[in-house]
Amino acid sequence: MSRKPKKIAAERQLFEVEARPHLDALYSMALRLTRSPVDAEDLVQDTLVRAYRFYDRFEAGTNFKAWLLRIQMNSFVNRYRRATRERQVFEGPMAVPVGEGVMSRASMRGLTDPVGDAQRRLIAREINRAFEELSDEARAMVLLADVEELSYKEIADVVGCPIGTVMSRLHRARKQLQGSLQQHAMQLGIIEEGDDDVEDPIPLEAFRSRKEMKS
Amino acid sequence: MSCKLVRRHLGAFVDGEIDPATQIEFERHLEACPGCQEHLAFESSLRQQTRDSIGGIHAPEHLWGRAIHRLDEIDEAKAEHTSLIQVRPMRWRQSWPIAAAASAILIIGGVVGLPQSTDHQSAGMLQDVMNFHSQPLPSDVRAEGPQDVVRYFQGKTPFPVKPAHFEEPSMKFVGARYINVGARPAAALYYNHGGRRVTLLVFQSPEIMRHARRTHVGGRELYYHNVGGNVVTIRQHGGVNYAFFGDLDRPALFQLAATARVAY
Repeated sequence: MSRKPKKIAAERQLFEVEARPHLDALYSMALRLTRSPVDAEDLVQDTLVRAYRFYDRFEAGTNFKAWLLRIQMNSFVNRYRRATRERQVFEGPMAVPVGEGVMSRASMRGLTDPVGDAQRRLIAREINRAFEELSDEARAMVLLADVEELSYKEIADVVGCPIGTVMSRLHRARKQLQGSLQQHAMQLGIIEEGDDDVEDPIPLEAFRSRKEMKS
Repeated sequence: MSCKLVRRHLGAFVDGEIDPATQIEFERHLEACPGCQEHLAFESSLRQQTRDSIGGIHAPEHLWGRAIHRLDEIDEAKAEHTSLIQVRPMRWRQSWPIAAAASAILIIGGVVGLPQSTDHQSAGMLQDVMNFHSQPLPSDVRAEGPQDVVRYFQGKTPFPVKPAHFEEPSMKFVGARYINVGARPAAALYYNHGGRRVTLLVFQSPEIMRHARRTHVGGRELYYHNVGGNVVTIRQHGGVNYAFFGDLDRPALFQLAATARVAY
């Protein structure tokens, strides 16, 4: 094998320096998408190989993590779409219906301020379970937005859809997560179902000022 | 601004994805509305809890090393191409054709050694072709359908790529990937012929035809190179080159090359 020219070595070094900090994000995403540590490792390896091969196509100044995640997302879709398609078909219609009032007020309070570490851990477990029940697409949305904290524009680039679609998909995914979380949490007695969700009580002062305006 | 509207877009508000003008209205509403404040507190808290619960996964220690090791293959391939270009920079550039004549190469058997009767450019290219067969890289796109393959190569190669059709029913398309042949974009298409591997490379290189010999198989014109006791067969088509090579005997491979439908 011929000796490596300096240019290649320099490019390789730059790539490693840039890519290394994102390994956890890539693996985390891969594991959440494939649900298998073995598949996740394969997916990350493929992603890094592809990224390195097309490194010259990366636009300097844009988000490198988002670029890597996009490559990984494409690899995932290409490799695993077939296997996961069936699951998605079942998940679609079975998914919790999405409405504005998915979460009752009592549930919200119970989940907003968990009391003590034990409850915090319990809720964390339930969030995990609710998350696992989401479709591939919804899991990707929640991961990219809530865990990786990418902007909507970056998410749009990663999954290859318009920003408006990101907004609605993300909204739907979060509502599904909340709905499923509420069910689990209620079954476990972490939260109690309240009946105060029917209507928001009008704050007294607002009520008064409204009255004053009428009279 | 209504509570319903605020709550519907609370997620985007927490994400900081609401335009500045609307954001001010949001804030004004939230200031005056305890109900929506509660929703906001919940939304923010759940966001944090979600991050804590499903984030924080660390990659296994060995993963980076394993992944990086695979980049060596690419470096080696790049280094080879670079050294080829360094040897004959002018001739490479001169030989960039606008409308390339197409050719198809067939290499028979386990290939060893460099071709003897060809010039350096063809030799380098044939060496690449041989390497890609003897040390195949994994497929990037699987044999799901010709359309998947066509789509995969769009934007990667400057010419359209389709899997070739063969009359032999035992020729099965296995998968494909993007590669470089002599620093030029190329498509590698993998086939299986009754348990023997056949690789088809698609690239643009009219110089590969320069010293090729000519023959006829089944009324079709074939070109070929003698390569270290084996034979590289070349067929010409307009626009794009197709290079086949496989672990088959000479007549079988000639037959494949002659009957393959590469442009359809």
